[in-house]
Amino acid sequence: MRTDEELIELYRKGSRDAFEELFARYHRKVIHFAYRMTGDQARAEEAAQETFLRIARAAFTWEPKARFTTWMYTVARRTTLNFLRDDKDDRDKVPILPGEETDDGSPAIQLPGPSALNPEEMAWGAEIQERFVAALQKLPEGYRSAFVLNRGDGLSYEEVAAVLGITVQAVKSRIFRAREMLLESLSELLP
Amino acid sequence: MECRELREIISLSLDGEASPEEARLVLNHIEGCAGCRAFERKMRAIGTGVSKTEGAVPPDFREKLFARMEAEDLLPRRRSLFAFSIRWAAVPLAAAAALVLFLVSSPEKGKDAVSTQERLPAVARTGPAAETMQPSSPPLSGSPGSTLADDPRRETASAARAGAELTPEERDIIAHLDILEDPSALDAPGDVDEMDIFEPPHRRQG
Repeated sequence: MRTDEELIELYRKGSRDAFEELFARYHRKVIHFAYRMTGDQARAEEAAQETFLRIARAAFTWEPKARFTTWMYTVARRTTLNFLRDDKDDRDKVPILPGEETDDGSPAIQLPGPSALNPEEMAWGAEIQERFVAALQKLPEGYRSAFVLNRGDGLSYEEVAAVLGITVQAVKSRIFRAREMLLESLSELLP
Repeated sequence: MECRELREIISLSLDGEASPEEARLVLNHIEGCAGCRAFERKMRAIGTGVSKTEGAVPPDFREKLFARMEAEDLLPRRRSLFAFSIRWAAVPLAAAAALVLFLVSSPEKGKDAVSTQERLPAVARTGPAAETMQPSSPPLSGSPGSTLADDPRRETASAARAGAELTPEERDIIAHLDILEDPSALDAPGDVDEMDIFEPPHRRQG
């Protein structure tokens, strides 16, 4: 099986199949990353599309100093941040908490009781996912990126540090702080 | 070790970033600390929950992206099967065409594969007349495989073809090739050996 770096090189030489293979390998991951970062399905799709377009545009000048995935997540994060900045004015909305009303006046989603909310044991449902996404959006972007890249996408601390341009020590600190803040946000869900 | 300090190591341990010593320390600590044990379980659950949080992949995601890429000329177009076939058929077709051209333009090449140099008479190979027999020589280059000495028919035909372009001296050489090949043919009976002129008569007699 060809490496990502070999596929990019082949794409640079004009291979459509090489790009299709890269797309097949990573489009789900990019969409999931963008969704965890934005908390919005439509925004995630737009950001993921833009991420692949940017990768294709930059492929011809990219110098493979790091792994392809490091570069891909760097592009994905920057693209997502741009979308978040564009949305900033519209995003004064406060995450909906259980029992509150939504913008259109309908009742907010009622989450299951705490005893059922151990993600390792419970049946994973859309409501719980939304709750997790909402909790992620409350984190500072730097913490959210570090935690999502590590726990969501499986990057090591070193790879997260490369994507975010920070030290491994800073990654450790951000991930621990992110966990503490999420624990606070999701305390109702976790017995 | 304080629980707060240890919880940072629990976080590392959950991410697989703790050293073996740190991992052992965590295990030993949570065995006897209910608070840290609960913390570890919740932290693990949070990690699992985030990894399970996934965006949906729209069914037309690929088509949309590839259409945008094609609009920006970022996606190489797939070649049709017809174009592919033509491209690969071109190689044998070109080779066949080259072979036909070769055979049509030099019909004698195929019949006489032995090199001209090998088929030339020994004298022609080494003597001054050889220059006129080489394939590079313009008058005879049209039949590089032919030899003038060993095939009288070809000799005649070639000479006739090239006759108009040969100097009288060259024609004379060609007409006496057999003599050049065997100089003893010059020694007709009664002829005087050139060397005898310079030898004393008594030696000639002895």
